Amino acid sequence: MASAAASLSTICTSFTTHCAISNYSPKTPFSQSTFFPFSRTHSLSLSFQPTLSPRLPLLPPKSSDTAQALSDPQPATQLVQSPPLQPPSWEPGLFAVVMVGGRQYIVHPGRWITVQRLKGAKVNDKIALHRVLLVGTDTSCYIGRPVVTNAVVYATVEEQGLDDKVIVFKYKKKKKYRRTIGHRQPNTRIRINSIMGYENYPKVTMDDIKDEDKES
Amino acid sequence: MTRIKRGYIARKRRTKIRLFTSSFRGAHSRLTRTITQQKIKALVSANRDRDRKKRGFRGLWIHRINAIIGKNKKKQYNRYSNLLYNMYKGQLLLNRKTVAQMGILKGNCLFMIANEIIT
Repeated sequence: MASAAASLSTICTSFTTHCAISNYSPKTPFSQSTFFPFSRTHSLSLSFQPTLSPRLPLLPPKSSDTAQALSDPQPATQLVQSPPLQPPSWEPGLFAVVMVGGRQYIVHPGRWITVQRLKGAKVNDKIALHRVLLVGTDTSCYIGRPVVTNAVVYATVEEQGLDDKVIVFKYKKKKKYRRTIGHRQPNTRIRINSIMGYENYPKVTMDDIKDEDKES
Repeated sequence: MTRIKRGYIARKRRTKIRLFTSSFRGAHSRLTRTITQQKIKALVSANRDRDRKKRGFRGLWIHRINAIIGKNKKKQYNRYSNLLYNMYKGQLLLNRKTVAQMGILKGNCLFMIANEIIT
């Protein structure tokens, strides 16, 4: 865990507090909710920084770590048994465009996104998203028409929460009409685990473009 | 009837409004009557602009897609209109936000898509 935190800090110093806290926080659902405002702003800024994509894969699953804590009270063994940082076999720069709740998201394995509330989903439920519109890597692209067949994005539900409050204020001037309503939109936070099933789909590579440029 | 003074009822109500308007400029955060008016205007604007925001972003994405696509001078078709037409013909479901974001973050992908579709 110490080496993991160190390597994380070298990748990106501005987020060490967030990463360190998520390493050493008590393994309860409330710890995640207190860091929700941090990670929210981070996620908004993250979408414009492509080079930082491998930064947030670390996700010590809460149940397994508490089980280890019960069985092995020594912190040394707990540190050794933590899951590896980098997911083992992703192609570099793997991402997908997925349609959830009527909106499209660019999705990387290991990161989380906030979507419209999924009814009936409980925390730590596994979810499979089937509407995958595009899968891409550093070198190639699988363009779905409209969907990449057999591609699935697996995710876990992290939290069912509410957006920030929005005050809906209706007002008509000179007619003595005003109404104040507060509204919090329910949402669900999802952690993306993996993107699978796209290998057999016809793909496009940068080489094709270069060949065409050379020909023309 | 016993005499009742109003006390600080009005002041309590106005303090909340004053807190809302605390960062406004000049008299709009200092004078009581202006404060109430400015809070109303601010909330009405927020309401209206929440819908405007959606329009604004869509225009921004279209503008960005046009700018990025216009870079391949070798191709005959380097315009947003052509790209969208071919996307609808090829039955892609990607919306403008995704295409614009991909153009910024993963430029290769956007050129690959454009190359695939536009022929």
